Amino acid sequence: MTGILEILFLILTALMMTYLIRHYIFALTVINHTYKRKKGATIKNTTYQPNISILIPAHNEERVIGRILQRMTELTYPKNKMQLVVIDDASTDNTWKITEEYAKTHGYVEVIHRKQKEGGQGKASALNAGLKRARGEIIFCFDADYYPQRDILEKLTKEFADPKVGAVQGRVTVLNEPQNLVTRLAALERIGGYRVDQQARDCLGLVTQFGGTVGGFRRSLLESLGGWDESILAEDTDLTFRVYLSDHKVRYVNDAECYEEAVESWRAYWKQRYRWAKGHIQCAFKHSVKVLKSSNLELKEKVDGLLLLHVYFMPILVLFSWIIGVPLFFLRSSQWLSILWASIPISLYSFVGNFAPFFEVGVGVHLDNRTRAHWLIPLLVFTFLYNIPICTKAFADVLVSKITRKNNNHWEKTVHSGNGNSYIMNQGKN
Amino acid sequence: MIPSLTPTTFVILIFGVLTFIFLMFLPALFELKRSKDAGPRKIMDDIIAVQHFRLGQIVSLASIEEEKLGSDRVFIKKVVDIIAFLPNLEA
Repeated sequence: MTGILEILFLILTALMMTYLIRHYIFALTVINHTYKRKKGATIKNTTYQPNISILIPAHNEERVIGRILQRMTELTYPKNKMQLVVIDDASTDNTWKITEEYAKTHGYVEVIHRKQKEGGQGKASALNAGLKRARGEIIFCFDADYYPQRDILEKLTKEFADPKVGAVQGRVTVLNEPQNLVTRLAALERIGGYRVDQQARDCLGLVTQFGGTVGGFRRSLLESLGGWDESILAEDTDLTFRVYLSDHKVRYVNDAECYEEAVESWRAYWKQRYRWAKGHIQCAFKHSVKVLKSSNLELKEKVDGLLLLHVYFMPILVLFSWIIGVPLFFLRSSQWLSILWASIPISLYSFVGNFAPFFEVGVGVHLDNRTRAHWLIPLLVFTFLYNIPICTKAFADVLVSKITRKNNNHWEKTVHSGNGNSYIMNQGKN
Repeated sequence: MIPSLTPTTFVILIFGVLTFIFLMFLPALFELKRSKDAGPRKIMDDIIAVQHFRLGQIVSLASIEEEKLGSDRVFIKKVVDIIAFLPNLEA
């Protein structure tokens, strides 16, 4: 019995070490990349300006929809090459009124009103409705609570000049960061996840992830892939892998930044992360074998793709390693190992995070020239601990749906309060 | 292997762990109490792109104004031309 536990523990430790090494490589890559870039900055071609369509799904977003629509009118991309499709997804508030106002005054704004019967079934469903209306060569997606840079479309579109690029992703920055502890920790997670994780994967030619918003797709590719998969909660991760499996790449543009309103309470955090975790685990079941077998992916992409697909299993495995680590410590199996058993799970939890480990967040905060944001990094322990039950529940629910063969997906929409408006006004219009 | 713990070493161990945890979270408590870097990080537009956009806006605004003014503009231009030819009365 002890022997089996030891082997199991060793496997779990090896897995955690793999993620740890991966993230160390990411952190070092980004430091190196940033340093080199400062030395010799390059200007990319921004003359590539095809017709584009922007999709904004909105379900009861009256508090924020006006803000992004106003911002869309301020974007520097030529308006004669731009189509803005707002999908009013069965809203019961004033979302439709606000969007209609913009559609009346701006020729390039179109609104799709979805009724209660067809709408409210999640983001993927709304985006597919928008895709049918879209006419542009490139399809961009923005969430209703987002607020982009004015030249973001130029920065993102230029990547499509390369025919191998099927999708592009920009950086997400938390707007309402000062609001409370949850938003401040969410902001740190975003810094680690985008500034370091995504940037490193792009630099190393690994699997760069499309995050569902602040990004775009080549329309021909998106249509050939059949649009967004409505049966999966993480429709963005699913599409990322389908893009890679179809022999295309996803590029990450760190300079293309967009604000988002982060969740403001632990309850909202749970709902959002549960949705991400469940969707990600669904993708792991759907794509793992395909990634392994694919002839379109290089070995490094396969390895990174698998690690990315299974990242939401890590909090569960860390918990498991703690559970079996304790009896192993007391069973005194082998002298040297027993010390290892006790120390490894305790220390590794500090390094293995849900989206980016603590040292990656530290590197991101440093590269962003933040003065004291890193002082909060130790508090990420709580978000990590919080993610253990979230991911465990998500995994259990996916297993139940697999066994019973019933789709138990329920799209829990993140409620946006519009509190970010005050921060935009404080900053002035960038 | 469990090291033998005397009551004294046990107390020291507990005290050491608690001190470590306290020191680890102390900066975070300071930052939460008196935030000096609460964000949000300013996201900057590309100045050239924005200037180009503003120039475009001004040009289009000017053309709209021109359309609105129409014949008035022609009349004003004629008046300005006449004034330019008038002798300087003060001189």
